[in-house]
This record gives sequence, structure tokens and C-alpha cells, in this order.
Amino acid sequence: MQASRARLFKEYKEVQREKTADPDIQLVCDDSNIFKWTALIKGPSETPYDGGVFQLAFSVPEQYPLQPPQVRFLTKIFHPNVHFKTGEICLDILKNAWSPAWTLQSVCRAIIALMAHPEPDSPLNCDSGNLLRSGDIRGYQSMARMYTRLAAMPKKG
Amino acid sequence: MRKSTDAPVRRCERLTRDGFKQGRGRSKKYWREVIRHDMEQLQLTEDMTLHKKLWRQRIRVEEAEYHLGNSILLKKIKVLSEQYAAIRRTRGDGNCFFRSFMFGYLEHILESQDQNEVHRIKANIEECKKTLLSLGYAEFTFEDFFALFLEQLDSVLQGSEDSMSHDELLCRIRDPSISDYVVMFFRFVTSGEIRKRSEFFEPFVLGLTNASVEQLFVVPVMLELPGVNPPPYLKTQFCKSAVEPMSEESDHVQIIALSDALGVPIRVVYLDRSSCENNSINVNHHDFIPTSSEVGNSDVSKTTNPSITLLYRPGHYDILYPK
Repeated sequence: MQASRARLFKEYKEVQREKTADPDIQLVCDDSNIFKWTALIKGPSETPYDGGVFQLAFSVPEQYPLQPPQVRFLTKIFHPNVHFKTGEICLDILKNAWSPAWTLQSVCRAIIALMAHPEPDSPLNCDSGNLLRSGDIRGYQSMARMYTRLAAMPKKG
Repeated sequence: MRKSTDAPVRRCERLTRDGFKQGRGRSKKYWREVIRHDMEQLQLTEDMTLHKKLWRQRIRVEEAEYHLGNSILLKKIKVLSEQYAAIRRTRGDGNCFFRSFMFGYLEHILESQDQNEVHRIKANIEECKKTLLSLGYAEFTFEDFFALFLEQLDSVLQGSEDSMSHDELLCRIRDPSISDYVVMFFRFVTSGEIRKRSEFFEPFVLGLTNASVEQLFVVPVMLELPGVNPPPYLKTQFCKSAVEPMSEESDHVQIIALSDALGVPIRVVYLDRSSCENNSINVNHHDFIPTSSEVGNSDVSKTTNPSITLLYRPGHYDILYPK
């Protein structure tokens, strides 16, 4: 408990110091609880998520950093490796490939990379995975773009 | 969706199994029941099938004990018992090599009170820190793990206020908040060493994880999105997937790297079923002697026997105590 708190505090200071280093990620710690974080990440360019801003919720376990944080999308997203309803993310580093060398910030980067490179063979969103697996890239992209517009962009007017 | 019970792959569930005697009048024993029986014996339930690590661990331990019935193994155990006084078993959770090394090393310092050795290893640890920094690791990601090991190192030396007894050392090794942190310290050190000397370790890694390396490189095939990064460099991948995560098992590569990085020789005794020529039974061992990385100065360690001896059975390491 004490160790995880100390580590998170270091990450907090690092985030403050490097605020401008990564303009695609805005990582914020909950005012009253250092084990709860949220992040706003920009959809990577030249993907159907381009132009969208996606919100992530982090829940950090007491055994952190020996155990990974739990991360899910709060913003709806159409992606093979993200559960459409719960926002749960299927990413190896958040499960068995986790190591303390990762940080909340680098997890955000990994999630952005996952958005750009979906793994349709381990889908949490089967509809999206099936579109990709059957080669219907256009179908996947237009669905993903539609949800990006609906959920991840400011409403016009 | 389940296949119908007539499908060829499911017919095996109804195969009768030889070797399982049943009383007169009892119904035939089917494969499925044998599996049930085995699962009960291994304390497995069906909902554990997706829990790969736990499953592997359960079946392996049982298998190791089971094969003790094998005669070559029995003979080898006899030979071992003549050379070694005792064995200390470590938890079989994928961290057993690192945990065995941690206990073996700290126990050695506790007993020998070798100030010079502590001094020497601290210099190596300082090197490891520089290595990690130069590889781009943020210091705050690993410094806690380093600090905790140095703390243990200081407290096994007697004479300071918080010096510890052998019992205390045992307690600490069982306390995950210390033990797991030290395991992670070793994982960082090992990873740094492998990545620093990647051209040396490359062939080992290739030979070792051919299958898994390829798996790691599966890049989404159908997607031709622009800006696809080239597959990350092999060594990084190996360390990210097989060294740094907790519970990933260790092999030769990790042992060489840790031994070299810390400058600590390690002996590994192999208890396997490989038989020897002309029917003589002897137990193989291999000494991992650190190569002094920079200068070719012949270390004292070259002449002395390794102070840490580990017993390897397929998939697991324990600590051995020479007579």
C-alpha cells in the first residue's frame, strides 16, 4: 500500500513535469484519491479515430506496480480489442505481460498504439473483429469513424 | 458451440481406458471420468482451464513428483544425497529461479559476513542502474526495487541496528512485499544486461523462444494502415515478454545475464532423466561463471566454487546445500 502510493506520487510528479512532452495524452489524478486516474487521449492520425478525444479510467490496485492498473474506455469506441459496452481493453501489457517498467503514461501510449494497430484475432468486440478478419476494412473504418464522430468529438452547434 | 457427441473429436470421451480396473458389474470407465478423476487429484476445476499459469503449475508439480518413481531419477537422487546435505524448496510460481538466487545469496552473505563481496556487488548494482538509465528506463520505475534489495543486503551484515537473523531472513523471503520486490529487482538487472549485450544474447534468445518470438511479431495482416511501425527490436521484445513480467520462468539466458550483471557465480545441478553412457549414473551440473564485462581481469571467483547451488528439475529451481 505504502509502496504503491509512493510510486504513484512519483508518477504524478513526472506527469506534472512532462506535461507538454506528449500532447496526445492528458493524464489527470483524482483530487482525493491517488489510486484513481483519468486520461484523455487523442485518436491517432490516419486512423478512423483521428480527431476524436477518448477518455480512459484508471483504477490502480494496492499491489501496483507489481500488478497492472485496470484501464477501460469511458468514451464509446468501435475497436476489436475494446468491449463495446464496458470499455474493457484486451491488451497483453494490462494482463500477463505487465511489468513495473510500464507507467500510467506509457500505458496510455500503448493504448494509442493499439488503436492504430488492432489485433482482430483476439477480439472483445466480435462485430468489429469479424469485419477486419473478413477483410472488410472499409466497413470497419466507417463504423469506427461513425462512433468516433458520435462519441468522441464535440457536438456541433 | 459444442460439437455433437458423435463427432470424432468427442468420441474419445467415451473411449474405455485400459489400466483402470473396475469391479465386476461396474459400468465401463470412460475417458471423461479419468479426466475428472485426474482433475480432482490435481485440485483442478473446469473454470480454471483459462487460467493458464495456475493450470501449468498444478500439473507440473504433480508430474515432477510422479516421475520420482523413475529409476534413473531415483539413482540420481541417491548420488545427490551423497554430495549434498539438504535441499530448500522454493515456491513454484515462475519466479523460483530469482527467489532461490535471492535467498541463496543473502544467506551466503549472512553466514560469511563477507564485507568485500557486499562492496563488490554494490559497485555492480550501480553499473546496472546506469545500464537501465542508458537504455531509456525512467529511474522512478526501478529505483524502489533497487533500494529494497540494497536494504536487505545491508541488514544481513551484522553490526548495524537493523541487522537480521536467519529466521528473520526466512520471514522476509516469505513476505511478498519484500520478496516480490527483490525478484523484480533481479528481473530489471537481468533485462538490462540482456539488452545491453544484445549481440551476445541474440543467438540464445532465438534458439530458445523461436515459437513465442514469432507469435509476438504477428502484426495485423489485413490492415494496411499507414505509419505501421517496424516490429520492435527482438531483444526488447524478449525482455518485455519473458524477463520483466513477474512469474515468467527463467532459463539459461536469464541465469547467464544475472550472473554476469551481478558478478555472482551460480552452479545449477540438473536432475532430469537423461541417462549416462556405460550405465554409470552421475548428475550433471553447470557452473555459470560471470565474465568480467569490461576488462579481462581474472576474478577470484574463477578459482572458487560458486557459493550458490541450485537444483533444476524440468520447470523448477530449488536451493541445494553442499555437504
